[in-house]
Amino acid sequence: MTIWWQRFKESYLLYSFRRDRVAMVSFGVLVFLILVGILAPLAAPFNPYDADSIDIMNSEIPPSWMEAGEKSFLLGTDIQGRDLLSTMIYGLRLSIMIGCGAVLLQALLGVMVGLAAGYLGGRVDSILMRLADIQLSFPYLMVAIFISAIFQVAFGIGRYEEMAVPLLVVIIGLAEWPVYARTVRASVLGEKNKEYVEAARVIGLSPGLIMIRHILPNTMTSVLVISTIQVANAVMSEAALSFLGLGMPVTKPSLGSLIRSGFEYIFSGSWWITLFPGFLLVILVLVINLLGDWLRDVLNPKLYKG
Amino acid sequence: MFAFIIRRLIQAIIVMLVISLVGFSIKNRIGDPVRDLVGERVTPAEREVIRDRLGLNDPFLAQYVRFVSNAARGDLGLSFFHKRPALEVILSKLPATLELVIGATLIIILVSLPVGIYTAIFPRSRLSRFTMGFSTLGVSIPVFLTAIMLIYVFSVELNWLPSYGRGETVDLWGWETGFLTWDGLTHLFLPSISLASITLPLFIRLIRSEMMEVLETEYIKFAWAKGLHARRVWLVHAFKNTLLPVITVFGVQIGIMFAFTILTETVFQWQGMGFMFLEAVERSDISLLVAYLVFVGAMFVVVNTVVDLIYGLVNPTVRISGAS
Amino acid sequence: MKKILVAVLTALLLFGLGQGVGAKTLKLGLDADPVSLDPHVQLSGGMLQYSHWVFDPLVRWSQDMRFEPRLALRWERINDRTMRFFLRKDVTFHSGNPFTAEDVRWTVERLKKSVDFKGLFEPFDEVKVIDDYTLDIITKKPYALLLNMATYIFPMDRKFYSGLDETGQYKDAIVKIGPSFALSHASGTGPFRVTFREQGVRTVFERFADYWDNGSPGNVTKIILTPIKEDATRVAALLSGDVDFISPVPPQDFQRIRRDKKVKLVTFPGGRIITFQLNQKRRPELADPRVRQAIVYAVNNAGIVKKIMKGTATVAAQQSPAGYAGHHPDLAPRYDLKRARELMKEAGLKNGFSATMIAPNNRYVNDEKIAEAVVSMLAKIKIKVNLKTMPKAQYWDEFDAQAADIQMIGWHSDTEDSGNFSEFLVMCPDAKTGYGQYNSGNYCNARIDELTLAAQSETNLARRAEILKEIEKILYDDAAFVPFHWQNHSYGAKKNIQVEPIVNTMNFPYLGDLVIQ
Repeated sequence: MTIWWQRFKESYLLYSFRRDRVAMVSFGVLVFLILVGILAPLAAPFNPYDADSIDIMNSEIPPSWMEAGEKSFLLGTDIQGRDLLSTMIYGLRLSIMIGCGAVLLQALLGVMVGLAAGYLGGRVDSILMRLADIQLSFPYLMVAIFISAIFQVAFGIGRYEEMAVPLLVVIIGLAEWPVYARTVRASVLGEKNKEYVEAARVIGLSPGLIMIRHILPNTMTSVLVISTIQVANAVMSEAALSFLGLGMPVTKPSLGSLIRSGFEYIFSGSWWITLFPGFLLVILVLVINLLGDWLRDVLNPKLYKG
Repeated sequence: MFAFIIRRLIQAIIVMLVISLVGFSIKNRIGDPVRDLVGERVTPAEREVIRDRLGLNDPFLAQYVRFVSNAARGDLGLSFFHKRPALEVILSKLPATLELVIGATLIIILVSLPVGIYTAIFPRSRLSRFTMGFSTLGVSIPVFLTAIMLIYVFSVELNWLPSYGRGETVDLWGWETGFLTWDGLTHLFLPSISLASITLPLFIRLIRSEMMEVLETEYIKFAWAKGLHARRVWLVHAFKNTLLPVITVFGVQIGIMFAFTILTETVFQWQGMGFMFLEAVERSDISLLVAYLVFVGAMFVVVNTVVDLIYGLVNPTVRISGAS
Repeated sequence: MKKILVAVLTALLLFGLGQGVGAKTLKLGLDADPVSLDPHVQLSGGMLQYSHWVFDPLVRWSQDMRFEPRLALRWERINDRTMRFFLRKDVTFHSGNPFTAEDVRWTVERLKKSVDFKGLFEPFDEVKVIDDYTLDIITKKPYALLLNMATYIFPMDRKFYSGLDETGQYKDAIVKIGPSFALSHASGTGPFRVTFREQGVRTVFERFADYWDNGSPGNVTKIILTPIKEDATRVAALLSGDVDFISPVPPQDFQRIRRDKKVKLVTFPGGRIITFQLNQKRRPELADPRVRQAIVYAVNNAGIVKKIMKGTATVAAQQSPAGYAGHHPDLAPRYDLKRARELMKEAGLKNGFSATMIAPNNRYVNDEKIAEAVVSMLAKIKIKVNLKTMPKAQYWDEFDAQAADIQMIGWHSDTEDSGNFSEFLVMCPDAKTGYGQYNSGNYCNARIDELTLAAQSETNLARRAEILKEIEKILYDDAAFVPFHWQNHSYGAKKNIQVEPIVNTMNFPYLGDLVIQ
């Protein structure tokens, strides 16, 4: 343990991190947002899921510093009379959960498929890549309809609310794994004829071991970078799904669906409903992207290749 | 090469069969298309009669076999909502989407090349830092937020550009194009920018990093040593070698751009395939949906085949599977 | 001679208008365009709007809900089953064919063949042509709403739609799916002809030069209709000046349109009641009238109208809006949380229960937001609601399957009469007669059935109104459903477009009479 820590302390990663102010700030902000999300019940002034506490007569109160604002609602309220700040914090938590969960699933599936297809080649490659084609021709909306239809038969509408998060993780996870598979396969094709792989093969290492111990680490940079983009995509996909009645239920809005509904208020004069959730999402995605950039520069300047 | 293409063709047919099978199995979950065709007052019994007549009540396998045998003859069925052959509907919406993607591509090329090169040559300049920061911000803003902001600023407040639709189009041998009229071009502007905003930052970064890497190589140093003119070194020697990976990535990104057209087209009411798809979902126009899936599946297989071929040509170390 | 002169002059005038500075083009942005040019292929608000532009009804509703003569000049009741109509002479169809009583007979027969309309025209026995400009409409039983139904008769050009088209299909075939002659060709007597149509993209209407109604003030020579589905985009198009006239306007944007100097907002009270039905079969608790009353008492529908509908809806406590025969003036909205809690206690449900709810998210104005608000209102009497919302295409399937305990439905009376509400929404569901087709609450009260049927054939209007009022009173006391409001229609337009005189409670803007200054 201590050795690992020692190694980490002396690593180039930490060294460059300390020298890069942008990365440090981004990291700080990201940690802060994740903490706020995890501690939502403590951090938020109200519980927006407690329907009993919401009163329609409080709807569209502007932020507290404005003339018609009220002290108890710091960033104002939405059309249902929910405290916007609390709703955003709970939404942030959902979005982080769905985004990270879905991307982990995508990456897991995609990396395995990509490694196998790229390294083994031949028939395996053909089958897996055609599978990816099939998957890609089904927009995530179709995947969502399919899975939630199965779900509805199995559980009924009553349990939708509690099952929505895992359901969305599976839907978005399944819909976009080919993005990883394609990228990993391409970098594997580039790596597999290099000397070090040849060498490993000559010593007689098993293909599985070569793939995991030798090739995988070299594809990790692209995987990490795609992940930062994919987290943002997952958050937005979820927002689009809730519009079709396939995302989070309206009573439990995620950050994405808050923005989707904020879109309706762009001309309304209640600018805070559009602006604040949008701002929070942009900040979240921005720091993730900035960290991704930094990571890419440190790990490998050659990205996105192939 | 020939064997490879034949093999891919067979694979494509299998892919499309699987797609249509899955499409068929979910089609009953999207809602009853007959509901959308009739008013709310029509009795369930009458609706059943229509379903019978459309063959929607036939056993699953019978419907599927009928679909496949028709599809083999190039008939993908009739769109319930458009009341025209589904393939015809898809093809009529294709130009709009393609033009949107072309417009966005043009913007990406025109902006990312000079900016990418500039930031690579002068990475420490203030302008470079600003553009890089700005591009990260750009990639972080969701596309429909970008779109609605553009509408708000340029159409509603400034009144410079139209806010929706394709404007005036010209029929060019069956291809409805907006490129040939001023009106069509102004309508193309905002949607193309919003679509480009997703991938533009990516390309600026890519060109920059590729170019910086090339500038470090021996042969560029050699070129400097030869005393060549700076512009010649940058544009001819360095840039030429940057292009190849950029083009490869571009192939992959174009597919992603097609996926994003759904959002852009919705906000701008752009009558393309993405818009058509969403509307088909909302109207449970299942025959159009299945046709769309098969069509897109075919496109993916074709594009990937071409990419693999090019990849094989460009990078001779990669052997095309199936090539003898 | 004089007639010809007038016609020539009118034609010249219109021709001149079409060419010169007087040409008035209306760029119209609606949420959807007509699904077909055949007015009988679907019974929906959009198709009826279109019918009023390209065709003319025998009679139509005026803004103050009286019958206004159109192709029928006048009418008289001959006996309790027969009404005689005297038609306007010198009316021509767009094709140039003259309009006669034969066309009306033909049209009614076609209506009776249309899947969508046959239900409405069920009471009609036959149309008897007396001479070219006189006809009798005979019903099977005494029928009080014959004139109301005459607003649905938009005579079509019999000769134009007769024979076979080039594919060998009858030109008058009503085809739901696939091409038909009437899908892409239309000939009516209305103020506009369709000159271009690409479904979902653009429809162009041009003023019919030989339009019979010279008294119409309307001066629009061309309409370009573009469907703009997305609410925010539609509003943006109006604000940026890309279109002149939009409908509907989402309530959240009312403020903005009112503030803008170039555009204005026009709203008009509508007759569509928005309700929730409480399913007694799925949920035994909801079979207890006290629980249903508690729910009605817990729902702050005035708050919803004020906050979510921005005041552009009328708070409801019954089905019939003011002006309808069955509107009972004494029935007031009853939001009272304390009373609601007491009722729950009386019913032995102090600790509440949990229930499921579904609502569409693109069918009624702010439907999803209303449902969401109800969830928090019911939480206050400890009813925990699980809400799922979905687009209308999926919604109706779920609605029919009664997938949830509480389901939303809005209803506009087809006949602009109270009876229609009860027939579809609260009569005992009966697959054979079709009554109660949309009664997903399974409320069933023999007395209501009896009264509703009695009202159908009661031709004494005063007595009929009493019956209909009694129905509303019983439903109110029983809390048969949860009433919300009658939603208003909303239009946004440039300042120079005189929208106000042409709108009405059915949401059929009579564009033929529209004046652009």
